[in-house]
Amino acid sequence: MDWRAETQALREQALPEIATDDHLLALDERRVRWLGRNGLITKLLRSIVSAPDAERREFGAAANALKAEVEAALEHQIAKVKAAAPDSRLTEQDDLTLPGRPVRLGRMHPISRTIREISRIFLSMGFEAVEGPEIEWDYYNFEALNIPKGHPARDKFNTLWASNPLGDDPSRPMLFRTHTSPMQIRIMEQRKPPIRVIVPGRCYRFEATDATHESVFFQYEGLAIDEKLSMADLKGVLYSFARQLFGGERKVRFRPDYFPFTEPSAEIAFDCFVCDGSGQKDGGRCPTCWGSGWIEAAGCGMVHPDALRRVGYDPDKYQGFAFGGGVDRLAGLLTGTPDIRLFHQNDLRYLESV
Amino acid sequence: MPTIRVPLSWLREYVEAHGSAEEIGRGLHMSGTEVDRIERPGGGWDHVWVGRIAALEKHPNADKLQLVTVEYGEGRTKTVVTGAPNIRAGDVVPYAEVGARLRDAGTGAPGREAHGDGWLTLEPKKVRGIMSEGMVCSERELGLGDDHDGILILDQGLAVGQPLADALGDPVLVLELQPNRPDCMGVVGVAREVAAVQRVALREPKVAKLRYQLDRALLDVRIEDPEACPRFGAAYLENVTIGPSPKWMQQRLTAAGMRPIHNAVDITNYVMLELGQPLHAYDADRLRGHALVARRARSGESLRTLDGVERILSPDLLVIADDERSLGIAGILGGQDSEIRPTTTKIALECASFEPRGIDRTAAKLGLSQQSAASARFRLALSPELVPLAVARAAQLLVEHADARIVGAVDVYPSPRPRPNVRLRFSDILRVLGVEIPREESLDALSRLGFQYAESGDTLVVTPPAIRTDIGIAEDIVEEVARIVGYDRIPVLIPDGQLPLQERHPLEALREQVRDHLVGFGLQETVSYSLIDPAWLGRLSADGSPIAPAPIRVQNPTSISQSVARPTLRASLLDTAARNLRHRDGVAIFEISPVYLPRAGDLPEERWTIAVLVAGRAKEQTWLTQPRDWDRWDVKGLLAAMARSINAGTFSGPSGPAAGMHPGSSSTRLHDGRPALMIGQLDPRVAARWGVPTETFIGEVDLASLLAVVQPHVAKLPPKYPAALREVAFVVDEAVTYGAVRDDVTGAAKDLLESLTLLDVYRGPQVGVGKKSFALRLVLRSRTGTLTDADVEKVVSRIEGRVLHKLGGTIRG
Ligand SMILES: [Zn+2]
Repeated sequence: MDWRAETQALREQALPEIATDDHLLALDERRVRWLGRNGLITKLLRSIVSAPDAERREFGAAANALKAEVEAALEHQIAKVKAAAPDSRLTEQDDLTLPGRPVRLGRMHPISRTIREISRIFLSMGFEAVEGPEIEWDYYNFEALNIPKGHPARDKFNTLWASNPLGDDPSRPMLFRTHTSPMQIRIMEQRKPPIRVIVPGRCYRFEATDATHESVFFQYEGLAIDEKLSMADLKGVLYSFARQLFGGERKVRFRPDYFPFTEPSAEIAFDCFVCDGSGQKDGGRCPTCWGSGWIEAAGCGMVHPDALRRVGYDPDKYQGFAFGGGVDRLAGLLTGTPDIRLFHQNDLRYLESV
Repeated sequence: MPTIRVPLSWLREYVEAHGSAEEIGRGLHMSGTEVDRIERPGGGWDHVWVGRIAALEKHPNADKLQLVTVEYGEGRTKTVVTGAPNIRAGDVVPYAEVGARLRDAGTGAPGREAHGDGWLTLEPKKVRGIMSEGMVCSERELGLGDDHDGILILDQGLAVGQPLADALGDPVLVLELQPNRPDCMGVVGVAREVAAVQRVALREPKVAKLRYQLDRALLDVRIEDPEACPRFGAAYLENVTIGPSPKWMQQRLTAAGMRPIHNAVDITNYVMLELGQPLHAYDADRLRGHALVARRARSGESLRTLDGVERILSPDLLVIADDERSLGIAGILGGQDSEIRPTTTKIALECASFEPRGIDRTAAKLGLSQQSAASARFRLALSPELVPLAVARAAQLLVEHADARIVGAVDVYPSPRPRPNVRLRFSDILRVLGVEIPREESLDALSRLGFQYAESGDTLVVTPPAIRTDIGIAEDIVEEVARIVGYDRIPVLIPDGQLPLQERHPLEALREQVRDHLVGFGLQETVSYSLIDPAWLGRLSADGSPIAPAPIRVQNPTSISQSVARPTLRASLLDTAARNLRHRDGVAIFEISPVYLPRAGDLPEERWTIAVLVAGRAKEQTWLTQPRDWDRWDVKGLLAAMARSINAGTFSGPSGPAAGMHPGSSSTRLHDGRPALMIGQLDPRVAARWGVPTETFIGEVDLASLLAVVQPHVAKLPPKYPAALREVAFVVDEAVTYGAVRDDVTGAAKDLLESLTLLDVYRGPQVGVGKKSFALRLVLRSRTGTLTDADVEKVVSRIEGRVLHKLGGTIRG
């Protein structure tokens, strides 16, 4: 056979063969077959010496070119096969249904979380959170709030009276504050208007406890004093509060109420988000609003001019509003806790669920 | 708060109110008179209707039973079986459908399933082969009365098909009154509110004026203490016949919550419920000296009161007396001796106005926590104007219902109280409410409430009706206008104005940071009662000695378990731990609350405290982790991490032993003379008393002290030069603390020591008896250049030298 034809035949056989190999072992065999000691191309190269002189140079060049071509094809194919092989770093197969390494979880108490949320909302409206004493003088809890001794409004506040082991002064009775309102007076005594404060804190009453009453409970108090604050502003602040807490679609109800230290006074309620204000749930009375469709959120009103005068403010110049509500009830609503006594029982099985 | 019961039919006598009880109630509620609930006598009468007997026929299988076809509305007829003999076709009767709840009359009537509580729910049932679909009812079955002789036959005029409750039940509005509104303590006062809200006419009871003329020999009325009793009215009536009061009056009294007695007492009660003003009827023949006197009790005087108690009186009590003895304690309790008897023929009606504070003091002094209907009213600021009105009204009713003849009347009112005039500007309404209420509308609201007024320009002078004792300032008038036009008129605005002071109290800010960090460390926050059992405090040390100052006490505790204000959080945490460890293996809890520390002559200090408790299982076994219990190094690590997280420095004061804690494994530390930190293991003997694990660890931090050592954050730039790392080990005597070694190392390294880690504490043969070895890793770095080997060697040998010299240690090779 003519060396030209033979070279061409070998090329046409070798290159497609190599190109179809998809395994490194096969390519090794292929290399032996073509380029090994007895390989077909090796034999071709050996046959150069027996070629006619005139063609030997040309034949040599062609045969060596073929060898180079096949070698390149082998290298190329080896690289290709290697690239196609799976990366050993990626071959592992985990059982991802196995549980992860445990991480210990702590939780804030629902009361703390609710107080923080209440404070956050009022802070966003320019109020500042302050705190005051839980054990108070009768003066701040009652007298300064227009509730002198014998005033029938004292009936509402079943007071727990405090006794100091270091001696009591009968002219200055000490008590466990029955509401956060004494802080209205303390703050006005300490500051000049404009004032916007929110006071969360513990309060106490002589109370038979049940699912909605506690002898130790939490309230939040708000106070705003400036030159032109009106009931419309009070309404706006409390509407905003109710909606930020329970959703923008909440309806709010404002009705007259009575507190000796505000005039006019009001009670704010929002429509029950459990029964959408219908009072009915699952064919019975809604357990959240007791069937009324309304959830009472706070008592409020315009600060009584007597209270302003008592702290040395000029009621002709300054006026403002105050409000107060129960934290426990809101915490109960926010966490779906039906019995506020759970808050103080500290059963971790409950606390870890809310 | 005072509660009154207002039967709707009684209310309607004085006001042409439109709408149902619910609608009237809503109007009252939204104008400030709180409606607690609306009661109906047939509260359980669901599925009970006004029916008419369309046909009657004999039961085919039983002689004594009848088949009744009842119609109860358009196209609604049912057949029931009854044994009652008293019904005829065409009778209007109560018909109870299947599903109605009725009182169990105990007759074994058909179709019943008893509930065991005296009530049962009707079910369809076959009686002798005929299906009975419900029943026609007796008075007893409806809970209306005791009659069970036959079916209750109703008025022919009732509309058939309406719920029985609507036809028979007179709804009762149960009102929770505010203490400033004594005018609403009577049905007429409530009617005045309804009239104003609904814009309808008020019809006050017509009361003929009495003739104020009475022979002193018949009745001598005197006030000896006009401050305590500003007004004293009376009427003298003769020819009285004592007997039952009319049925309608008895029904109203019953519905309003009072028990009918006889006409004289019923009439005084009726007038009290109607007008709000209590009064009293005496047997005039038994008044010695024919006198009624409001005076202070005499020292040592005694009185047997209506509750059967013989009471010794004292001069601070106001009594109503005749010339010889006390007849009753004014406004609080009557006496037995002067009661009306069946034979009484002459009545002295007494009606007075008392100073409310005195009533309150007297009730408190006598230990009467239960208020009578009269004392509940006298405690409020009733208007003295009610006195002559009530006397006249009661006298008139005694004429009508006890055959009485009015002889004469007296009204002692030595210094009549002027009616207040309240001056305000129309602009005050806008100023307070934030909305303009048109002048005409404001004036209309006031006049509907019975206020009189005079206007001149922007100024308005208002005279409230005499019965309204709660009105005194401009804001009161604004509120009256607002509640009648409706609070809905007030717009919803957001305040503008000057920027108020806004500074977060640093203690509060720190507390919230600490709370977040402790929660982040995996601790559960608790909030426990701040009032605790004093016995708890005695259980906090092995010998019962106190670990905290004597606490503030509650003078009138609800129970002993909440009778002192806690001076420490430790007892609360131990209680919480013990209760939870009954159903779990481990607890990791904290509380941030004040403790209450008494101060002489002042309110107690409320000291905010952080308390942490860990005990029991810290980590459960899982396929990845080994189980582990909480130990002392956990609580130390937690508090250290907390301090680091808020960039707190160290407390400067000395440390000492901690009361109630393990003597060898706890300490306290002062800062500025006050206890700042307590950390360690609970005394195992105390642990046993609380039922918590022997190994229980507690940390307590005073928040104010912590705040005092918080450092401002200083930004630290990444280092420019490489660090050198060295490990050294010192062998020291057992008595030498790690702290001493640490302080020496830190001191000797000066500012080249970047960090120090304790790698190991070793005791054993390699270091010898009574010795221990601390292996330390030092990271050294200079801020000004790369440390050469020689620099590092110099520092290390200085450190080694200091430890060797000062602590007598050796270097472990
Ligand atoms: Zn609801």
